[in-house]
Amino acid sequence: MAVTGDRITFWFGCNILRHAEIIRLSILLLEKVGFDVSAAGGPAYCCGTSYDGQPHAASAMSARTVSRFNDVATKEGRGTVVTWCPSCHMHMSDIMAPGNPTSFDVTHITELLTSRADRLAPLLTHRVERRILLHRHIGFATHVAVNEGVHGLLAAIPGLEIVDGPAVPGHMCSALEAVPGALAKAAQETWDAASANGCDTLTTIFHSCHRAMAPTDGRQGVALRNWVHLVAESMGLPAGDAYRDWRKGGTPDVSAIERAGEKYYEQLVEPELRKAPVVT
Amino acid sequence: MSILPPAQADSTEAYLEASGPRLADLCTSCGACFDACPMVDHIDLRKSDVREVTADIRRLARGEPAGPAAVSWVAACTKSGRCRSACPEQTSGLDAMLLIRIAKQRALNVTHQLASKKDQKTFPRVKTFARLQLTDEELAKWL
Repeated sequence: MAVTGDRITFWFGCNILRHAEIIRLSILLLEKVGFDVSAAGGPAYCCGTSYDGQPHAASAMSARTVSRFNDVATKEGRGTVVTWCPSCHMHMSDIMAPGNPTSFDVTHITELLTSRADRLAPLLTHRVERRILLHRHIGFATHVAVNEGVHGLLAAIPGLEIVDGPAVPGHMCSALEAVPGALAKAAQETWDAASANGCDTLTTIFHSCHRAMAPTDGRQGVALRNWVHLVAESMGLPAGDAYRDWRKGGTPDVSAIERAGEKYYEQLVEPELRKAPVVT
Repeated sequence: MSILPPAQADSTEAYLEASGPRLADLCTSCGACFDACPMVDHIDLRKSDVREVTADIRRLARGEPAGPAAVSWVAACTKSGRCRSACPEQTSGLDAMLLIRIAKQRALNVTHQLASKKDQKTFPRVKTFARLQLTDEELAKWL
């Protein structure tokens, strides 16, 4: 089914709020290829996938989120919900929609950008002289060919060399955290493959992988970038990475910490930022 | 682009409630899902009796207690999706990944053979990260 018009809802998810620049750049990329984007995410648009232990609460979250997407589909003509997060995407397809009437379709951001590759290509004007290892998972292929999609998008960047990394289990790194040793093994294999293949950059597809790999940035001369960062680089756009920098010992501005609440920062954020890396 | 399936129940809770026994009935306990799962090696279950484990998955999906191997397996699901494509009953409407997901939910909420590990600080943490980075306008729109 074709995207109904150019008005879309970009459903970025929850945990990607750690990576504000990825949200902003994703919106920008969608706009640059011609979409009118309304972004939605955070806890108010939770899919409920993390609440298997609270089925009633999860069900209510699903219903609320679907209802909001139905509203904008009906009132604003935004009949396509564009996902970033594979958990949200799969949960919508497999569980939310069968339990709630929907007035919209879903597509993943990589599918939508691929469908407008002819509009994206002329914007990739800056050479990105990197040899990257693309960090891949085997999951999510049940719904979207995301590994191939990202590979295809990055292949249009002048100067970029791409090596496909080992396809590790799970749909993204956060899924592996619950199984002792699984995340460390997948991350180790991936960083080792980057070095063994002479890559200077490890490129993540999803936010949770980026989060897991961030403190290892620079290991054996291999830098960490998300695929969106690389597309932005090729468009000549600034593509900083605050989370990675904080995870490697940096700290947010004092004013930002005050704004977020010093107590919340110390109790909720600092322990995560100072956690030992999965791979050293 | 995914065309979403039509609603089959009044809520996701009701859908999952009804789907457990329905999917369990479609399953033949052949073990193809278990054999295809990359997590089985991580939790040292490769030598388990696949028919017994998958029969236990069906029991869990119906809300009945299961043996420790099946409980360990559903707890280790990372949504690799290999079970779904390996299942010979897929063409009959059996979504093996969904069956295993429902089995896990039953182990959490009905048989209580698994304890919930949900971090209650997830949303407060995410919101704090957002407040460190987003503009006032973004916060108003997105949080």
